[in-house]
Amino acid sequence: MKRKQRAGNPLSRRVFRELRDEWRKYAVIFVFLTATIAFVAGMYVANNSMLTEAGQAREKYLREDGHFELSEQADPELLAAIESGERADLLEYYTEQAHREIDEVLPGEVEAAVTEEVTAAVSAQAEEAIRAQAREQGQALGLTGQALEELEQAAVDENLEAAEAELLPGALEQAMESEEYEEALETARETAYADAEQEIDEAYRRAAERYRLDDPDFEPVPVTVYPFFYRDLDEDHDHDGVRDGGIRVYREPKDVNLYCLMDGKGPESEDEILIDRMHADNAGIRVGDIISVGSADFRVCGLAAFSNYSTLYERNTDVMFDALTFDVAVVTEEGYARFRGAQRYAYAWRYRTAPADEIAEKQMSDHFLEALITQTAAAENGLEDFVPGYANMAITFAPEDMGSDKAMGGVILDILVVVLAFIFAITISSTIAREAPVIGTLRASGYTRGELLRHYMSMPVLVTLISAVAGNLLGYTVFKNIVVAMYYNSYSLPAYTTVWTPDAFVKTTVIPVILMLAVNLLVISRKLRLSPLRFLRRDLKTTRRKKAVRLPSWQFIRRFRMRIFLQNLPNYLVLLIGILFVMVMLAMAVGLPDTLSWYQGKVPEMMFARHQVILTASEDENGDPITTGNPDAEAFCMTSLLRRSESRDESVSVYGISEGSRYMPLDRETGTGEVWVSAAYAGKFRVRPGDTILLEEKYENRSYRFTVAGICDYDAAVAVFLSRESFNRTFDRDPDDFSGYFSNEEIRDIDEAYIASEITEEDLTKVSRQLDHSMGAYMRYFQYLCGLLAAVLIYLLTKIIIEKNESAISMVKILGYTDREIAGLYLVTTTLAVLASEAVSLVLAKQVMNVAWRAVLERMDGWFPFVISGGGIVKMFLMVFAAYLVIMLLDFRRIRRIPMDRALKDAE
Amino acid sequence: MSEQEKRFLEVVDLRKGFGEGDTRQEVLRGVDFTVAKGEFCVLLGPSGSGKSTLLNIIGGIDRCDGGYISISGEKLADLNEKSLTMYRRKHLGYVFQLYNLIPNLNVKENIEVGAYLSDHPLEIDDLLRTLGLYEHRYKLPNQLSGGQQQRVSIGRAIVKNPDILLCDEPTGALDYTTSKEILKLIEDINRKYGNTVIMVTHNVAIRRMADHVIRLRDGRVLQEEHNDSRISATELDW
Repeated sequence: MKRKQRAGNPLSRRVFRELRDEWRKYAVIFVFLTATIAFVAGMYVANNSMLTEAGQAREKYLREDGHFELSEQADPELLAAIESGERADLLEYYTEQAHREIDEVLPGEVEAAVTEEVTAAVSAQAEEAIRAQAREQGQALGLTGQALEELEQAAVDENLEAAEAELLPGALEQAMESEEYEEALETARETAYADAEQEIDEAYRRAAERYRLDDPDFEPVPVTVYPFFYRDLDEDHDHDGVRDGGIRVYREPKDVNLYCLMDGKGPESEDEILIDRMHADNAGIRVGDIISVGSADFRVCGLAAFSNYSTLYERNTDVMFDALTFDVAVVTEEGYARFRGAQRYAYAWRYRTAPADEIAEKQMSDHFLEALITQTAAAENGLEDFVPGYANMAITFAPEDMGSDKAMGGVILDILVVVLAFIFAITISSTIAREAPVIGTLRASGYTRGELLRHYMSMPVLVTLISAVAGNLLGYTVFKNIVVAMYYNSYSLPAYTTVWTPDAFVKTTVIPVILMLAVNLLVISRKLRLSPLRFLRRDLKTTRRKKAVRLPSWQFIRRFRMRIFLQNLPNYLVLLIGILFVMVMLAMAVGLPDTLSWYQGKVPEMMFARHQVILTASEDENGDPITTGNPDAEAFCMTSLLRRSESRDESVSVYGISEGSRYMPLDRETGTGEVWVSAAYAGKFRVRPGDTILLEEKYENRSYRFTVAGICDYDAAVAVFLSRESFNRTFDRDPDDFSGYFSNEEIRDIDEAYIASEITEEDLTKVSRQLDHSMGAYMRYFQYLCGLLAAVLIYLLTKIIIEKNESAISMVKILGYTDREIAGLYLVTTTLAVLASEAVSLVLAKQVMNVAWRAVLERMDGWFPFVISGGGIVKMFLMVFAAYLVIMLLDFRRIRRIPMDRALKDAE
Repeated sequence: MSEQEKRFLEVVDLRKGFGEGDTRQEVLRGVDFTVAKGEFCVLLGPSGSGKSTLLNIIGGIDRCDGGYISISGEKLADLNEKSLTMYRRKHLGYVFQLYNLIPNLNVKENIEVGAYLSDHPLEIDDLLRTLGLYEHRYKLPNQLSGGQQQRVSIGRAIVKNPDILLCDEPTGALDYTTSKEILKLIEDINRKYGNTVIMVTHNVAIRRMADHVIRLRDGRVLQEEHNDSRISATELDW
C-alpha cells in the first residue's frame, strides 16, 4: 500500500459543516456581532473624520484660542497693551494715579487755606486801621464810651470790604510768592504722597494676592485680539409676534472664527442673515425664509456651521447646549447697524505662537489671564467673562462627546463580544462534553491538546473574523453615514472629509478577536486539560461533589426542577450575566427619557419664582437703587464661584436670599461662614450638613470656606444659599446691595438697559429638551434593539441548556412523560431562572446606571439624578420577559423534536 | 527476530490502584509479561480483572503506580505529558468498543483524522478498499452499521501505520458475524503491516487467533500462553 504526504488537519472541515448545520445559531450571532461592529466601526470612522476636521478648525477657520468680554469697549491703547501679553505695573499705576489725584487737588486746597489765612489777616489788619482812624476822628469830636464804639463799628461796616478789596490781592500775591507758601505746599504734598503710598502698598498687596501678580513663572503671551462684538436678541421665526428663542448676532467675521457655509450664501445686504444650520434644522427654517431678529426682519441667505459654535451653548456655564431655542447668526455691517439695545464687548484672541498641546495651552491661557486682569484694571475697564478655547463648551463639547461616544461604543462592543464569547465558550464546552469520547480517542491517538484547542477555538474566531470583515465593510459605508447623521442632528458640525484610521480596525477587529480568543482560550483550555482517559470515560467534572445536594422534602416535581437548576447552574449564571447586560442597556434606553421627563416635570417646582431677573447693577446712573413697583418682587444677591477639583472645575451659583423669603425659604438663617446647599450640589459632590466646602473666585486668587448648614430641596442647579446680609458681608458688598429680583409676576417697570438676563423655566428645561431632542428617538430604537438583544441572548443560552439536557429529556420521554410535562420541568425551571435573573438584574442595572450617570454628569456643569419610573421598570421587566416568552415557544418546539432514541444512542 | 524485537514491549511489576484509604482498590498487583514485535496478543479476563487499565497504561493514557512499561527499550514512565502524546502519535493506534467517530465527518474524513497524525500515512483509498468501505467513503457515521463504523475506527487507527494497535473490546458492541469480520480485519492488518496488536477481550474464543494470550484475574497474570497454531478469525466460533 502506498504512503502519502501529510495533509491539512481534517478537523477543520468540521468547522464549516458545523456552520452549515447550526446556521441559525451562528446567523444570530453573526448578525448581532456584525451590526454592533458595523455601528462601532461607523462611529470610529465618523468620529475620526469629524475630530480631524475639528482639529484643523484653528487653522482652517481661524478659530479663536479664547475670548473675553469687557464692560466697556476697549480703546486702542488698552488693546495694544492686552496684545502685548505683558502685565500692567499696577503698583506704578496706582501710585501715578494717586499722585495725579494729589497733584490735582493739593494746590487748590493749599491755596484755599492760604487765601483763608491771608484774608483773615488782611481783614483784621484793615479793621484795626479803620477803627484807629475812626477813634481818632471821634475823640477829636469829643465822643466817648458807647458813642465812640458805635462810630468805630459804623466805620468798619462801611469801609472794611473796600479796604479788604484793596489790600487782599496784593497781600495774596505776596503770600503766594513767599517762601513759606512754597514750603507749606511741599510739606502738604509730601504728607499726602506718604499717606497715599501707604494705602497703595496695602491695596497692591491685596491685589497681588488676588490676581497672582507676583507669579514668578509668569511669561508674557503675545496675542492678536479681534473685536467680536455681538448682541443677544429675540428670534421669531414663525411670525406670530412671540419670541421663539434667542439669537446671538455678530458682524460677518473676516479675521477670526470663520464659518463653514452649509447651504446658501453669506450675507451681502443689510437685510440678509446667515444662521446656524443646526438651529435652522430644528426650527424648520430654510434658506429664503424671513425671520424676525430683534425688531427687524431678515431674509435667511444661508446656513452655516460656525467654527466657535460647534455646539450651541448660550453661556459657557450652561448645563447643556440648546440648539432648539438658541441661534447664532452673522449679518453685514449695515445689517448690524439695524439693531438697537445693549451690545456685548466681546474680544476673541489668538496666540501669536500656537500652543504645542493642551497643557501648554492652559499655561498660556493662565498667563494671558494674569496679564489681562492687570491691563483691564489699569485701564479701569471691567473683565466680565474669560473663556479660553480649551474650556469653551461651545467648541469642546462636541469633540469630547464624540470621543466619549466612541469610547462608549467601544466598551459596549467589548462587553457584547465578551458575552458572546462566553456563549461560544459554553456552547463549545457543551460540545466538548458531548464529544468527550471522540476527544478521548483523538487524544489517545496522539492529537495534542493544542491541536484540539485550536480546533475548538476556530469557530468563535472564524465567526468573529467574518463578522468583523462584514461589520467593517458596513461600518465604512452604511453605518458611517448613520452616525454622521446622528451627529449632525445634535451638533453644528462643518462639512467633513472621510478619514481612514487604523483605530477602527483595531477596535472592531483586533480587540474583538483577542477578546474572543482570550475568553475561549480560558474556558476551553481548562476544559481540555483533562486526561484522555477522563474524556473516554466522560468524566469531565473538574470538581468532584462528594455528595449530592440534599433538598428539602418537597414534592417530586419541585425537587426535579431544583436538580435541573443545580445541574445547569453555570448556564443559568451566564444567563444572568446576559440578562444583566441587556438590563443595563435597557436601563439606559428607558431611564434616560424617564429622567428627562422627570426633570422637566420637576422644573416648575424647582423654580424659585416664575421670573428671575438679573440686573446689570443695583443702582441706576444717578446712584439710586433700581426698584420695581411689582409687589411680588423680592431682591436677591447672586454670584458665581468655582468648586475646583483635579478632574474638573464646577461653576456654582451662590445666592443671597432676603430674610423671610417667599421664594427660597431657608429653614433657618445662615450664620457667618454657613451656607445651605442645593440637593443637586449635595447629590453631585456627596456633601452632608456639617461638611465644609471650599469655593473659589473664577479669576481671582480668593477662596471661601463654608460650613454646610443644610440641604435645600432644589435640584435645578448646583447652588449654595446664604442670607443676603451674610452674602454681602462675605463678598465685601454694601449691606443693601442686590443682584436682581425674584417674582411670580413679570417685572415690566425696569429699564431693559439694566436687565442683564432673565432666567425662566425655558432656561432650566433646555438641558432636558436638548437631550430629549438629541437622544429621545434613538433611545426608543435602542429599547427595541435591547429587546432583540435579550431575545438573541436568551435564545442562545436556553438552546445550550436544552441541548445539554437532550439525553435526559429523551429519557423522560421514554419513561412516558408528555412534552407538556417535560416543558413543565425544563421550561418552568428556566422561566423561574429568567424571572429571578430579571429581578436581580433590574436592581444591579439601576446601580450600574447610577454610577455611569454620575460619571457622565461629572464631566459637565449641573446635576440631576438618574431616574427610572415605576412604569419604566415594569417596561424593562416585560420587554425581557416578552423576549423570553417568544424564545420559550421555540424551546418548546425544540423539546418536542428531541427523539426518544437520543438517550438510547448516547447509552450505546 | 532479534532479542530487542522479542522484548519489544515489556511490562514489569506493573501496579495500579484507584481511590484512597479504605476505598482504595488495587487493580493491577504486579503484572509482568513481554510482547514481541508484530505479535497478536490478547488480554483475556473477566470484568474488573484490570485488562482495560493495563491497556490504557500501555497506551500512555493512564499512569501506573509502580513497575514500568518499556517499548523498544524506552520506559513510558520517563516520558512527560508532551512526550507521551508524541509517543501515542507516532507508535500507537487505538480502537475502542464504542467507535467514537466524529459525527459530522464522513468515512474518508474520519480516516484522514488519523492520517493527519502521521508523516507517512497509508494511502487512504487503498485502505478504504481493504476495509471494505470504499463505496461508503462519503457517508456520515450515522449512515453506517455498527460493524462499518468499527471498520472506520480501525481504519482511523491503522492509517498512520502504528507500531502497536491497541484494541479495547473492539467487538463488544457487535453481533457475531460482524464481530468475526472485524476480527478478520484486525488479523489481516496484523499480517499485512506487521503491527503489534494488543487486544483486550472477555471473549475466550478469540484467544485461538492470537500468538500470545495473557489471562488476567484480580490484577495479576493468571496464565500466559504462546499459540503456535494460531487459526484464522473466520474459523472462530463461540
